[in-house]
Amino acid sequence: MTIGAAIGRRAILAGVAGAAASASAQAQAPTTLRIFTGGQQRPDVMRRVLDLYQERTPGVRVEIEIGGATSDQQQQYLNTVLASRDSALDVILIDVIRPAQWAAARWAEPLDSYLGAERDAVMARYLPAYREANVVAGRVMALPYFADAQFLYFRRDLLAKHQVTPPRTWDELAAAAQKILAAESAANPSLRGFSAAGAPIEGTVCTFLVPLWGMGGTLTDAQGKLALDQAQGQRALAMWADMRTKNVTPANIAEIATDRIRVDMQAGNLIFAMQWGYAWNRFQNDADSQVKDRIGVVPLPSFAGNAAATCVGGWQVAVSAFSKNKDAAVKLLRFLSSPEVSKMQAIAASHLPVFPDVYDDAEVLAANPWFRDARAVVMGARARPVTARYPEVSEAIRTAMNGFLAGTRTIDQTLADMTQRLTPVLR
Amino acid sequence: MAQLRIGPLERAERRLGLLLLTPALLLLSSVVLYPIGTLLWTSTQQMHLAQPWLEGFVGLTNYARALDDPRFWSSLGTTLIYVAITVPGAILAGLGLALLANLPFRVKWPVRLGLLLPWALPLVFAGLIFRWFFEYEQGVVNGLLRGLGFAPLRWLSTPELAMLATCLAIVWKSSSFVALVLLAGLQAIPASLYEAAAVDGASPWQRFRHVTLPMLRPAIVVALIFRTITAIQTFDIPYAMTGGGPGHSTETLAMYVHRTTIDVLDFGYGSALAALMFLISLAMTSVYIRQTRRDEGS
Repeated sequence: MTIGAAIGRRAILAGVAGAAASASAQAQAPTTLRIFTGGQQRPDVMRRVLDLYQERTPGVRVEIEIGGATSDQQQQYLNTVLASRDSALDVILIDVIRPAQWAAARWAEPLDSYLGAERDAVMARYLPAYREANVVAGRVMALPYFADAQFLYFRRDLLAKHQVTPPRTWDELAAAAQKILAAESAANPSLRGFSAAGAPIEGTVCTFLVPLWGMGGTLTDAQGKLALDQAQGQRALAMWADMRTKNVTPANIAEIATDRIRVDMQAGNLIFAMQWGYAWNRFQNDADSQVKDRIGVVPLPSFAGNAAATCVGGWQVAVSAFSKNKDAAVKLLRFLSSPEVSKMQAIAASHLPVFPDVYDDAEVLAANPWFRDARAVVMGARARPVTARYPEVSEAIRTAMNGFLAGTRTIDQTLADMTQRLTPVLR
Repeated sequence: MAQLRIGPLERAERRLGLLLLTPALLLLSSVVLYPIGTLLWTSTQQMHLAQPWLEGFVGLTNYARALDDPRFWSSLGTTLIYVAITVPGAILAGLGLALLANLPFRVKWPVRLGLLLPWALPLVFAGLIFRWFFEYEQGVVNGLLRGLGFAPLRWLSTPELAMLATCLAIVWKSSSFVALVLLAGLQAIPASLYEAAAVDGASPWQRFRHVTLPMLRPAIVVALIFRTITAIQTFDIPYAMTGGGPGHSTETLAMYVHRTTIDVLDFGYGSALAALMFLISLAMTSVYIRQTRRDEGS
């Protein structure tokens, strides 16, 4: 018997048992649920949300387990827990790129039977990108917790001082950064022009895809087959090479991970950054922030004549297929993925809402004025390839990009490496 | 046949001996033999959690794939570079430390503690500490370079420098273990040998060369075996310092195994890679062991 079949059989048995148990659920002893979240996804805010849930749901206690800071670190841990079919976790926060892989590995409990007749109505409320990301082969694998996309963060004060308008193209960005650096470097030798993820981590996949998409390019065709145009790939990489030649990006960009960009900007050492939504709240509210009220957020640049592009990001909540409290876990999931919690997160953590209406909420806009324009960006964001073998896709792109940004591989070598490794996976 | 006959008392003794060995045997087979057996079995399977529908027996396909995989060879090459640099590095540094610790200090504990600390530190912590040392903007190494008027170096994103930085961290971490082994060896050398050499007029260098080194040989071989096996398994320090980067340049075979199994969930192929790593370990260790046997024979 294969592992897959064994898991399948267990899932069916568990489903039957769960349905039988739910009838008598009310009479049962207090339930303790355990939820896994990442260190960078604001566990403090999640705790507040869960306290509210506990208040409203007598008999249920929810514990938080906090994992690593990056998506990769979290997934490495979860891979060992779930591959060994451990039932310790009930609800798990997963990156938007994971549902297909989780569906194939049968780690997430499909939610269709729990949602029942409500299923389509529930899913229709979300932004389209999140509706699509969480439904794999017609089955609902997870519900969205918060949305995300990459934006161009910039120092409003420095741009105003040097009469520079927020750049719309990569060339404008490089020119603006050079102009400001030339004038400000003497006052702050640590000041850098523009930073993006370059370490061998998940975010570096977007460092390649964003400029590729920003010229109308694509990595895969409609069938999910590799369709990387060499000339477009070369142009995307040449943009980064140009930034390096002009000393706009930090010399050690190949060592930079997502939160390092936030730290550098927060310390006042960056003019421009390609960064996710969470950073805004930290810039505005952290005690050590040097840039409170000095940051602006606009869509990322593109190549002249093309629409801006960005990666769909964001985090979903899934019920572990090995949980022993699936009914209680699904109820918690429904709460975590509600407009009320979406609003709480938007205000407390600048987590982008997964419901279109929450963007118009007055309190949300008071905390995040830039959310007014962010909905359009999130709605136009593109998904990284959707495949159960995404970890291999990610690894191929980020490792090649990391070598390229470190200056150890040429543009053509980098594209050849990527193509060679992606061809057998994306077919 | 006659000499093999044993009395009932002796037979009972043997039975008791076997009985007393059973718990250890059971424990060993459950934590050593069973995992190795499972690994070998998994290595003959197609078992990729992202493609569960393809699962099944595939014979030696995974091994053939490894021999055809440039990344297997490049990570093996990187591993061998780590072996070639960090094994002699740790032995030399460890020998120096052991000789130092063997000096007749009045207060011995600070020296011993200094020897034990790096050894007691978890590998990943050592990696994270050295990563901060070599960090580009805030690391002490670049701080020192700047202070001396040099340009900072991209220690962790230049292949050769990243190799150098990770090797330094590994040598720092592992030399203390070598030093402990060698210190034990040094203290077993009878003082009378040195006295006799001094009477014969041997210089300190001659005493080291002709008394200390030959007497220390068994301890050095033990240290070499342990250090070589752990060097073949190098994982934690480059993982924490560079993540294998830039590109694949500091990725060891153990890191490739980890990536294949834990990140990609390709258990079949990952097991085949791990089995190959095991074979390489075995081959290198047997060379040393044959060497020691020859020593004992002569």
